[in-house]
Amino acid sequence: MALIRTENVCKSFSDVNVLTDINITVNQGEVVCIIGPSGAGKSTFLRSLIQLEKITSGKIYIDEELLLYREKNETKFRMEPVKYKSLLLEMGMVFQSFNLFPHRTALENIMLAPVNVKKMPKADAERRARELLAKVGLSEKADQYPARLSGGQQQRVAIARALAMDPRIMLFDEPTSALDPELVGEVLNVMRGLAESGMTMLVVTHEMGFAREAADRVLFMSDGSVTEEGDPETIFTAPENQRTKQFLNSILGA
Amino acid sequence: MKPLHKKIIHAAAVVILLTACVLLSLYKPSREQLDNSVSDELITDAGNNFSGVYYDFWLFNITRGRNVKTAVSETFIGAAGRILSVNEGFGRSMADVILWLPALAGGARVTVSLTICAVLAGLFLSIFLALGKISKNPVISGFCGAYIFFFRGSPLLMQLFFIYYGLPVINPALTINNKFFAAFVAFTLNTGAYCAEIIRAAIQSIDKGQFEASRVLGLTYGQTMRIVIIPQSIRRLLPPVANEFIMILKDASLVSIIALADLTHVTRSISSSASNVMVYIPAMIIYLIITAFFTAIFTRLEKRFSLYQ
Repeated sequence: MALIRTENVCKSFSDVNVLTDINITVNQGEVVCIIGPSGAGKSTFLRSLIQLEKITSGKIYIDEELLLYREKNETKFRMEPVKYKSLLLEMGMVFQSFNLFPHRTALENIMLAPVNVKKMPKADAERRARELLAKVGLSEKADQYPARLSGGQQQRVAIARALAMDPRIMLFDEPTSALDPELVGEVLNVMRGLAESGMTMLVVTHEMGFAREAADRVLFMSDGSVTEEGDPETIFTAPENQRTKQFLNSILGA
Repeated sequence: MKPLHKKIIHAAAVVILLTACVLLSLYKPSREQLDNSVSDELITDAGNNFSGVYYDFWLFNITRGRNVKTAVSETFIGAAGRILSVNEGFGRSMADVILWLPALAGGARVTVSLTICAVLAGLFLSIFLALGKISKNPVISGFCGAYIFFFRGSPLLMQLFFIYYGLPVINPALTINNKFFAAFVAFTLNTGAYCAEIIRAAIQSIDKGQFEASRVLGLTYGQTMRIVIIPQSIRRLLPPVANEFIMILKDASLVSIIALADLTHVTRSISSSASNVMVYIPAMIIYLIITAFFTAIFTRLEKRFSLYQ
């Protein structure tokens, strides 16, 4: 079953096309990695899915329901507001720059959305937050403010914060790009665990090792469109597209 | 010429005595209270002239011991009076200062309460102005923008003058009789415009990622502002608000145009009635003390709000 499906998603700023006719499907339980050179529109696409960016035209289906249909910058169809909001909450997002709330402790960061959006009782939210902190291996950092945590720890708290809303899909926007090299591993481990537990994940990443080993499918994007798609072994060992070859050669130094 | 150390001792004695008598006179019962509390025999004792006795405090109160507080304070006033009669030199100047202090303190009270009330009310007003100005609704943002433009762009002195003297001419229903309240309205409207810009800048300096994270977690715009953005901007807006507070404290001297007895107004009237411009020195020192006090408070607030950094 497709949790995310897009049809001909396009986005342009004035006359620059950022995304051209993106058609992808992410099935339940699948881990899909998007790789590609900078400026290919990977992040923009991810942000379009969760409505942080407005698409110019195209259709977005979440959980097989049409969320939004736009044509030439005009909204042709938009789901009714209550359902629209709850459908968007099916997606959790992890940002490159963590975006934790600096004035709240790790625990409060995780509790904030369940308490205020889902109206969950504080005690329940706290119990759940502590479980999630344990899951990302940060139980002892519950009462620390983000500024006192390392980048890797902050990103793990951010993952726990997104999970607290019980999303069915997790979107990762270059989650390790802002980290020191020695901190990348701990975040990837958490993501691996999440993938193994059956979470549906769409990951924009430059970590080729992670993409190769954890992904069910890899999408290669360049110049605003998906130019190659396939299982990781094929993409990494026998890419067909010239642009993909170039990119992999330069990034893997082979 | 007396030797210097003698002058200093003389001056110090005057300062200590007069400070004590000013403090004690705050506890002194009023003359009416004293009249009522005194029995008939006592008045007869004093030769049917209690009012006179009241002023002849030096001996009477100690011998009768009717009221300890009165006795002590009047004793000090008596002693101070004797020293005051040494009508010369630095000691005399200090004595003047001490005698002006109650009036100056009254003026300072008006200045401080006007400033605190206006800045607090102005801050409250400015939150809405700031949110209005960054609103996407062109009518709301246009209105708030125009408001801020007007109140930042015209002199506070004129705004004050207009509110007190101008509004009643336009419509008698708009008359504000209470001078303090008129000044409060003018200062609130004015500082609201300045603080709105401070708050707007603080909100817009918050990383865009904070808005995005709130949005993908499902928080509404109001929740995002209330729970995420405004608490973070407080730390950033405290220094400029402290600055604005001190500006308003000094701008409060403008209220003498509507004859409200603030510190500056009191100082000027003492200066003209006593023909002594030296009163400006203690007045300015009082301004500095108030400023130092509030600066310290704002510094503490800043520390408290930067705990998480």
